Amino acid sequence: MTTPARDHDQWADSLGAWLLGALPEDEAAGFKRHLDECAICRDDAASLQVAADALPASAELRTPPPALKARIMAVVEGEAELLHAAGPESDRPQRRSWLAWLTPRPALAWGLALLLLVVGAGAGLLAADALQGGETITAQVSGGGRASLEVEDGHGRLVASDLPAAPDGRVYQVWLDKGGASPEPTDALFSPSSDGSAHVDVPSLEGVRRVMVTDEPTGGSRSPTGKVLLTATT
Amino acid sequence: MHLVKRDDPRAFEVLYERHSGAAFSLAYRMVGRGNVAEDVVQEAFLSIWRSGARYERARGSVRTWVLGIVHHRAIDQLRRSSVHDKRRASDEGIEERVEARERTDAEVARRDEAATIRSAMDALPAEQSHVIELAYFGGFTHTEIAAILETPVGTVKGRMRLGLEKLRNSLRMLEMPST
Repeated sequence: MTTPARDHDQWADSLGAWLLGALPEDEAAGFKRHLDECAICRDDAASLQVAADALPASAELRTPPPALKARIMAVVEGEAELLHAAGPESDRPQRRSWLAWLTPRPALAWGLALLLLVVGAGAGLLAADALQGGETITAQVSGGGRASLEVEDGHGRLVASDLPAAPDGRVYQVWLDKGGASPEPTDALFSPSSDGSAHVDVPSLEGVRRVMVTDEPTGGSRSPTGKVLLTATT
Repeated sequence: MHLVKRDDPRAFEVLYERHSGAAFSLAYRMVGRGNVAEDVVQEAFLSIWRSGARYERARGSVRTWVLGIVHHRAIDQLRRSSVHDKRRASDEGIEERVEARERTDAEVARRDEAATIRSAMDALPAEQSHVIELAYFGGFTHTEIAAILETPVGTVKGRMRLGLEKLRNSLRMLEMPST
């Protein structure tokens, strides 16, 4: 017979709430840890999972609008193009020789746009607040909206609200400025939600001085061509 | 296993075509507004795409896996937005409006399945179905539900578990196919 985990009594009555997604995050994490070591709760969870899994099928069938698919596929195809350009083994952000950045016009235009933005904003608008266990950096956004860069274990996540929609036929692209002649492109392309919010994972921030976002053609660009939407100085 | 390679948009498109209807239906049921449901589905499918659609067969069918991701995204949305308050005020998500459209055999089967599960839900004692609705579709935590119903948290948790047990037993009797 299986020996119950020591904290079984404490957690047993949370199983239903856990299956329904009704535990707050910290409690859910605690329950999951308990589940890993309690065979009784694992068996109970497996037995009841079928009921929880059936719930979404009770929703009346609705057809998603075709425009939703078009939006999603525009991002997907754009990111796939970038990956394809980076080679078959690449599933990571592209890194280019700094010599490749000497393509004059787009880089120059981008540099000028960024310079204007930074000078216009003033250094005081780029604030960084150190937090326990991570860091949240307030980004400077042009054209309305708010954004911050959450840094954890060397990786970042841009969290934005009230952003303007990207211009027609374009998406936003994240760039990493490492102090070279031009920023490095990433495969992080996104369109804000209808309420202007966006949550975008940013690749490794090692050596990165600034994270920036510009609007670019649907497939993304190898060097910035659009206006700078936001910058976050690490 | 990866269902979709990150340089294969067509494979992803097949996955989207197959599951977006159920995903949008669930998201709409939870958030109660079309534009917000679209945002939820967009976030969910893009996260699937960016993860290479890393799916573990042991955790259920592909559909269950996709809908689990949608459910989590919808809960995130509900908990970080004012949608929650509006739903709390009106309880509007309980009523459904079905768009008139041509029904395929698969859709007819899906609607039959939905009707079967709703029938099993309807057979639950009201206090149990209510906490399940509030938790799963409303995105409320057990403590929020306890406050809404002015009921001890322990009672709410008990109702959730009992409700799921009864629902499982009903579905077994009705011989619901695995979702």
